[in-house]
Amino acid sequence: MYNRAFLFNGIGSKPEKLLAQLTPEMTDKYESYRAEAFTRLGLDMDMEKNTGYSAQAAEWMVPFLCDRVVYEYFIDKGIIPDIGAGYSSGIVSASACFGSIKHTDAHDIVMTHLSMFRGLQEKGIKLNMGIVIGFPYDDLKELLSGKFNSDELIIGSSNSSFHNMISGKAEAVEKAIELCISEGAIKAFPMNTGTAFHHPLMEQYSQEYIGLCRNLDYKEPKYPLISVFDQTVLQTVDEVKKENLHNVCTPMRWDLALKKLEELGVKQFFDVSANGAIKKFSRVGRKCKVYTLEDVINGDYTL
Amino acid sequence: MREITDAIKNEIKDMVIDYYAEECEVDKSEITMDTNPTEDLGSDSLMFVELIEMTADKYDLDIKLQSIGKYMLKTPMDTMADVLDMFYKIYQYGNDVVNQ
Repeated sequence: MYNRAFLFNGIGSKPEKLLAQLTPEMTDKYESYRAEAFTRLGLDMDMEKNTGYSAQAAEWMVPFLCDRVVYEYFIDKGIIPDIGAGYSSGIVSASACFGSIKHTDAHDIVMTHLSMFRGLQEKGIKLNMGIVIGFPYDDLKELLSGKFNSDELIIGSSNSSFHNMISGKAEAVEKAIELCISEGAIKAFPMNTGTAFHHPLMEQYSQEYIGLCRNLDYKEPKYPLISVFDQTVLQTVDEVKKENLHNVCTPMRWDLALKKLEELGVKQFFDVSANGAIKKFSRVGRKCKVYTLEDVINGDYTL
Repeated sequence: MREITDAIKNEIKDMVIDYYAEECEVDKSEITMDTNPTEDLGSDSLMFVELIEMTADKYDLDIKLQSIGKYMLKTPMDTMADVLDMFYKIYQYGNDVVNQ
């Protein structure tokens, strides 16, 4: 039923790494979308002139704008998805590219992340996230379960058989990283996000985000999505809305979402992030392949 | 312990150097035994894991990443020589690499 899936990363990569991968034509399009978005949001087009929260907002906007440009490039090339999936804020990006929400809605959602961030800082709440490379989900869960309770720390996402994201109170994240390194992680490091996305404790700090997501005017997506929370296929307005509402405070299973896509018949995965960020931490079966923008530009994928 | 021949060592060496050259977009000739994969080539841990997966597939090795992580605690991968030495040991000792 499904053959081709588009994978959206959203926030995560450094702007310079994303922009370096765009062709001149794509860069022109990106700059046009950026001018539109930055003007509407009151951000300075000169990235250096944005300071404090504005600087953060400007940086967070870049992946969304790049996702849109790459998505449209794939479509123009005749690469049409049968289904999609969004990793974390990639859910918002996917919802916008698949026409379920407007791109301006996606930008407004990014801005609510900032108010969430501001609220946490003002209250002096110290949260963090971290990456642990080298443990399967079950092994990491077992390692952490005896040392931390779920109020302090959870696995925010299992990305592949060796790549996990942890999320929770900053002190717990720090201790968990030390523990993982001593127990043989290939690498474990804090992300220094100041937030604990995908931990239920974020719900209390996300009321503006939740309010906005609840009140957006959703449309049925042009292509279905797979839920990274419960691996169901999302096709209706309510289902896409629910995925967006759950996003900030619910742990993800990216690994299971990819597995489910394979079970549904997907063989070709397209990483919509400009720099192939998703391909790096995702793993698919031997009969499948993850294509990046670079692959498509270089002609390594033909219809 | 699995015996490792010079031919296998050369094969592993070629595979590792080719991999880093391609992934880090540098010429093979620029990679020496003193090259630091992270600082000189800009490689990262995800590339490293992919190389481990490739090696495990190629030589049918059953290796847990934690074993390699524990080995790396004792022996940091500062140079290409360190990386190659570790891959030779993985080939020879599998998960027992941690005790080498």
